[in-house]
Amino acid sequence: MGEMQPIEADVLVIGGGATGLGCALDLALRGMRAILVEKGDLTHGTTGRYHGLLHSGGRYVTKDPQSASECARENAILRRIMPHCIEDTSGFFVATPWDDPAYGDVFVANCHRAGVPVAEIGLAEMLRREPLLNPRISRVFEVADAAADSFLAARSVALAAREAGAEILTYHHVVDLIRVGDRVVGAVVEDLRDGTLKRIACACVLNATGAWAGAIARLAGLTVTVVAGKGTMVAMNHRMVNTVMNRCKLPDDGDILVPIHTVAVIGTTDVLVPDPDVYRIEPEEVHLLLDEGEKLVPGFKTYRALRAWAGVRPLYRESEAVRDRDIPRTFKLLDHETRDGVAGIVSIVGGKWTTYRLMAEETVNLIARRLGNTRPCRTATETLPVPPFEHHGPPAAGGTRHYWLGKSLATVEAGHAYGELICECELVTRERLLAAIDSGAKNLDDLRRDVRLGMGPCQGGWCVYRAAALLYERRHAAGLSHAHANQAVLHMLQARWKGLLPVLWGDQVRQARLDELIYLGVLGVQHLEPFAAPGGGLVTEHPAVATE
Amino acid sequence: MRYDTIVIGAGLAGLMAALGRAGQGERVLLLARGHGATHWASGQIDLLAGAANPLAAVERLAVERPEHPYARAGVLALEAGVARLRALCADAAYPLAGNLHQRLLLPTALGALRPTTLAPATMVAGESRQLADGRPTLIAGFPELRDFFPPLAAANLRAQGFPADDRYLTLPPAGRQQGFDPLVLARLFERAEFRTEVGRQLAAEVRRGGYARVGLPAVLGLRHATAVVRDLQAHAGALIFEIPTLPPSVPGMRLYYALEEALLRLGGRVQLGAFVRRGEGRDATLEAVYSEAAAREQRHTAWRWVLATGGLAGGGLRATPEGELRETALGLPVRGPDRRADWFARRFLDPAGHPVFGAGIAVDAALRPLDAAGRVVYANVAVAGSAIAGFDPIREGCLEGVAIATGYAAGSLSR
Repeated sequence: MGEMQPIEADVLVIGGGATGLGCALDLALRGMRAILVEKGDLTHGTTGRYHGLLHSGGRYVTKDPQSASECARENAILRRIMPHCIEDTSGFFVATPWDDPAYGDVFVANCHRAGVPVAEIGLAEMLRREPLLNPRISRVFEVADAAADSFLAARSVALAAREAGAEILTYHHVVDLIRVGDRVVGAVVEDLRDGTLKRIACACVLNATGAWAGAIARLAGLTVTVVAGKGTMVAMNHRMVNTVMNRCKLPDDGDILVPIHTVAVIGTTDVLVPDPDVYRIEPEEVHLLLDEGEKLVPGFKTYRALRAWAGVRPLYRESEAVRDRDIPRTFKLLDHETRDGVAGIVSIVGGKWTTYRLMAEETVNLIARRLGNTRPCRTATETLPVPPFEHHGPPAAGGTRHYWLGKSLATVEAGHAYGELICECELVTRERLLAAIDSGAKNLDDLRRDVRLGMGPCQGGWCVYRAAALLYERRHAAGLSHAHANQAVLHMLQARWKGLLPVLWGDQVRQARLDELIYLGVLGVQHLEPFAAPGGGLVTEHPAVATE
Repeated sequence: MRYDTIVIGAGLAGLMAALGRAGQGERVLLLARGHGATHWASGQIDLLAGAANPLAAVERLAVERPEHPYARAGVLALEAGVARLRALCADAAYPLAGNLHQRLLLPTALGALRPTTLAPATMVAGESRQLADGRPTLIAGFPELRDFFPPLAAANLRAQGFPADDRYLTLPPAGRQQGFDPLVLARLFERAEFRTEVGRQLAAEVRRGGYARVGLPAVLGLRHATAVVRDLQAHAGALIFEIPTLPPSVPGMRLYYALEEALLRLGGRVQLGAFVRRGEGRDATLEAVYSEAAAREQRHTAWRWVLATGGLAGGGLRATPEGELRETALGLPVRGPDRRADWFARRFLDPAGHPVFGAGIAVDAALRPLDAAGRVVYANVAVAGSAIAGFDPIREGCLEGVAIATGYAAGSLSR
């Protein structure tokens, strides 16, 4: 350890999801030196694997009113500070024939109590706005739900944090926490790009690793019980609704449908898993989700399922809750100095994407007190910047500042850039892809998170080859070899395959076979030198980015 | 009107079968939902991957795997089918090079060397033995074409010991238009002034780098590719070879047109856009099929039939969410993995492939469809190409070879 050049900081934030990034920004805005390390790409964990619902709070009004109130307040704040990440879809709570009709009145009363704006609308109005909804729905309540791009939001927060002076290191894995007596004084991290170790010395370690918080706490000899609640989602290739749909009932499996970008995401299931890195998507989960989708939109199952994935909710368990869904969705700030007698480390656990900013504010309030910093939190008012690879297209008719469906296409049309599309499904132009490569992507899956590369119906069939070749052209002077490019192809194909496996039927299995024809029958990837020595800035071989 | 033979499916297998029947004087209709795998694949003719002598390997395989379509159709059908295909392509001024006893290793757009058996003459100057002659190769393309990237292809070739450079050429003014894709570029290459301009740039590169040959994306003309390549060679002062890349496959389209035009000359009819959804039969005889086209159902009748609708990629088979495999045209029994859990391997590139892609229709030695008990379902139907069960055309590297062998055999049967 002695020869390692220590990096000094006030706070080491561990975890590059929404919470960790929110903390890094808040710390930096208050003038504290923050370093954030993330073992994968930003949003590699749960943040990048959620359905994209900006909660109005309606979902929690009955079982978890505190969460509901927090959501309602944060919803309004996020719309202000990151309009480019939010599509203002609005949201319905609908009572289908499978839901208890008596819950509607309870729901409305609880919304009022929790401060969640709600209004009942007529069925004719509902069908006028969403003609594909089940006509047997009996009541509809409108709330301020929206669709949020958690990838883009993370990139925006990271950009703001860097501008404010924070350092963000992706593909840096915490190997150890350094504890001197009853104080944590730093960490040893491994740079996954080349295997080098770095020591970070800091006044405080902030454990913002979600479902992985228990494992990080263990490195400091602490016990934090975070239950990993696996939630499976399926993306369908149509927006059969343009409004977020919730079932008007107590939260359960498969009761949310979120139109986001070009797809609609049905979610979620809730299954406890022992290890947040090891889980599979079971066929029954997918069928359950499709069956529930059918109740909202008759014919749901006849649409094409593009991909299934799961995220792990970080559920903090103080006592033995009976059921996963009974664990509160509020967040919990653990001050290990008062809780365990170990100074220099705090953990922030639980919570949800919608409340990430509030979680960061409260966490940084505690750290600031400890470090003697008295500056106020500014994250509720500072508008977040737009990353360079994001569309800079024309505003929608009506001039909304929010993201709007059709923006990508309008940008391509305005620039006559059809021939420049590298990913046709998601309308990613060469210019945007190169900007994302230049922003530091470490593999093609990073580019997916940046610009949605490979997220559409063909799941990478065309764009993986193109993107790998462009990555090579852009980076080979910096040490990225042909073998790295080949490996980037294989890594991305496998990453996509993993998400395809649970939904391979109909057109999607046909597409998968076409991709096989392209990559084996035309491009001959199986005849190439498959594995490269580490380097070139590419990371595909660490468990953090495993695709199986 | 009742045709002598209706062939369902317009891929290589269906075309070969239709040509065979039409060549025997039958009235033939080729009925298809759309184009087949020709438009997606490399445009090369793969007999069997992995063997230095493809035909000898096919002969062995036909003995070892009696249910393989090569065994069902017979090696003689393969040889005769290939001979017919070569003659047809030669007639279309698009000759195929290579022979059945020697594998070709041709560069791909990634710079891999992919084994195949026959290739259009426009591609053979890139064969690995030529690349290894000690003289450098140039891989060239256009930055505007998003389907071909010379730097990565050349780097992979160099890594395998072949001296290769890469260059992006300047697109001549005629090519500066919107919606740039391989087909647009192929049509541009049929214009003499476009070739002259590209050829001038290539000549400068060849003079500067001393290149013996230049690899370009396989977009060098659609109807007159051989002449286009010959003209470019004359301009460049070096051999030119085409490298297949992402679909749509221009070389595959050339094959399609060569065969379609031959079929039309023989009096065959081609009807695309007709999706055959069901059949009607009696006493193991198929009498009619119904196609869905232009918002109506159409009835087609024939004495004999060839089913060449492809597998899961071609649309001849369809997998349901419930885990069933269905044959889409006639509802024939499908042979495949019993359980959906066994359809796929966890790794996309698992060397063993994915078992579901070996699913298809079981056939007898006359290529007639069989049910689960081994009884002939329709005695007047022959199945050809990737619709047949028991092999994986992509993983085994025999997509075109099986299509040719079974298509030829189905076209020769005179039941």
